[in-house]
Amino acid sequence: MAEKHNFGIQPVTCHTFNKDRSGLALSLNSSEVKIYKKNGSKWQPTSSLQEHGQRVTSIDWAANSNKIVTCGADRNAYVWTMNSDGTWKPNLVILRINRAATFVKWSPNEKKFAVGSGARLISVSYYEEDNNWWVSKHIKKPIRSTVTCLDWHPNSVLIAAGSTDFKARVFSGYIKEYDPKPEACSWGSKMPWGALMAEHSNGSGGWVHSVSFSPSGDRLVWVGHDSSVNVVDAAKGATLTSVKGNFLPFKSVTWVTENSLVAAGYDCNPTVFTYDDAGKLTLINKLDQSQEKAAGTMSAMNRFKNFDTRATSGDSTSELKTQHQNTITEIGIYSGTKADCTKFSTSGVDGNIIIWDIKSLEKSIAGLKIA
Amino acid sequence: MSKNTGASRFRKVNVDQYDEDCYQDDDNDDGEQGPSESEVQDLLQKNKSSDALKVVLNNAPLATKNQQVKDRALNLTLRVLTSFKTPDIDNAVKSLDSKNIDILMKYIYRGMERAQDSNTSALLTWHEKTFAVGGLGSIMRVLTDRKKV
Amino acid sequence: MAATLKPYLNAVRNTVTAAMCVQNFDSQVVERHNKPEVETKSSKELLLQPVIISRNEKEKVLIEGSINSLRISIAIKQADEIEKILCHKFMRFMMMRAENFFILRRKPVDGYNISFLITNFHSEQMYKHKLVDFLITYMEEIDKEINEMKLAVNSRARISAEEFLKHF
Repeated sequence: MAEKHNFGIQPVTCHTFNKDRSGLALSLNSSEVKIYKKNGSKWQPTSSLQEHGQRVTSIDWAANSNKIVTCGADRNAYVWTMNSDGTWKPNLVILRINRAATFVKWSPNEKKFAVGSGARLISVSYYEEDNNWWVSKHIKKPIRSTVTCLDWHPNSVLIAAGSTDFKARVFSGYIKEYDPKPEACSWGSKMPWGALMAEHSNGSGGWVHSVSFSPSGDRLVWVGHDSSVNVVDAAKGATLTSVKGNFLPFKSVTWVTENSLVAAGYDCNPTVFTYDDAGKLTLINKLDQSQEKAAGTMSAMNRFKNFDTRATSGDSTSELKTQHQNTITEIGIYSGTKADCTKFSTSGVDGNIIIWDIKSLEKSIAGLKIA
Repeated sequence: MSKNTGASRFRKVNVDQYDEDCYQDDDNDDGEQGPSESEVQDLLQKNKSSDALKVVLNNAPLATKNQQVKDRALNLTLRVLTSFKTPDIDNAVKSLDSKNIDILMKYIYRGMERAQDSNTSALLTWHEKTFAVGGLGSIMRVLTDRKKV
Repeated sequence: MAATLKPYLNAVRNTVTAAMCVQNFDSQVVERHNKPEVETKSSKELLLQPVIISRNEKEKVLIEGSINSLRISIAIKQADEIEKILCHKFMRFMMMRAENFFILRRKPVDGYNISFLITNFHSEQMYKHKLVDFLITYMEEIDKEINEMKLAVNSRARISAEEFLKHF
């Protein structure tokens, strides 16, 4: 139902899988990127990429071109290509940002990638063949604070960005000399470089932690620090629906079908929401309903043992009831695509990566139906 | 030494506030007046505390920057909150919708800022009951909301 | 009086749990730096609203949050002169050893007796729910300790005065 993989006690800052899920790249709160290879049911470390000077903040692995892009707090991003002998060669990207990079994502066609940064701008980089390097263009206006998260529209032109100025925006990342002209879509028909296609405020406060386009690209979801989940459907007049719940804020969200999304965060528990065609967003269920640890009565012998070793006489466990013992920082699709995901992976501050199987969760939790 | 060193007031200017790229709070609507005192007084005298609570929460002056309007509204709300008897608090809280629960939480915290021995225990009881309905999310919204009550 | 203790501690516990949702955030003002935003207050959009939870006029807790850190300041009940002195000495003792405490701040915030600064690095290394438990236990224990110390001081004073006056 849920496979847990532990990578030590340091938090997993970011993680990403390759196309067939035989390779895993992650960073454990340091400047090093570790690559693992799947061996049976365990992950074996194969290489360690060490170009970054400071903490690596985000990694993305392009499925088809097998390139890894990493960005870090040292204002740099590198594109890594695999050599024939299995080692990785870094290629520095000239981002021209003067603050830390926070998030990076390949476009769906893997020709460009976008980097969000604390310099209040998004840097979109593309490969210039003549000079054999990656060049970037900046989107600045009207971003007022650090860009925390990004997602690309399936047309590889539009970028959604969430920021700590409480807004979720959709920009055009169309590069005239590089991209084919995009067709009109629900977000607009004219998409010149850097144009702001939509801007939505996250209520009256609350940093935007994560954004995600739906598989069709018509719907956009974002989660904010005010414990809210907000969806806007561009195909249906861009009305904003939001759910402000009783839970702690979410850090990451992704669509798993056109109508359902999974969010996870400070509650350490992935939660499923559905957004139906009428525009209603409902919380369905939390996915981590592990059996209550059998809190049996402690024998007198155990009590004294506890008292002796730990100076506690109670049945106190410091473990949380959920599988993740600390905040979940990232959710990614593991099997399937955004349109029909069967498994998704979560990484957390407790150093674990857990792969959740939606089908078996649907069977075990009554009333859970992911449409 | 040059004569220019005499003027040093420019050194004390906070240049960061003039940086256009920085985040600025949205403009406010100064027209809001908050709940009407007479209406609330009326309802309190008739012992309709629950309705008084609804009036006070629905008209909370969130958008305005006028501190006096906010203070007046706060005093009214505190009077309404302390007028409740403990067993009634539960029902009153359950009858509120989620937006009003958030506003109620904000008032509870603001009330505790100007603590007076008389009402802190009432406020703590209100906090407990509101938390039971609103959960950690309602506290998050008090912390993140830029519009103070 | 004792009846307000439980709701007071629960209110503090819930508010601190909510404020402890912090994440690693590099400074957007200075490149390559990572500072607790609640201390530097460099950008107002990164700060949360400060809240105060009070049990009565003398005892309250101020919680200031931000995107990567939170500061909790506690004002302890000091009913008479001797409690004031004991509280001051006790807090000073701990604050001088703040390095070993990790989450303790060397100077309390104005108007309070002791302050804690919890950053995202602390919440990564330690369990958040345990940090909250620690704070609540601390608040309970402080009152008890100060009472005990006051009794001890008084009884010592009485015994030494008796001994001294026996000579007359």
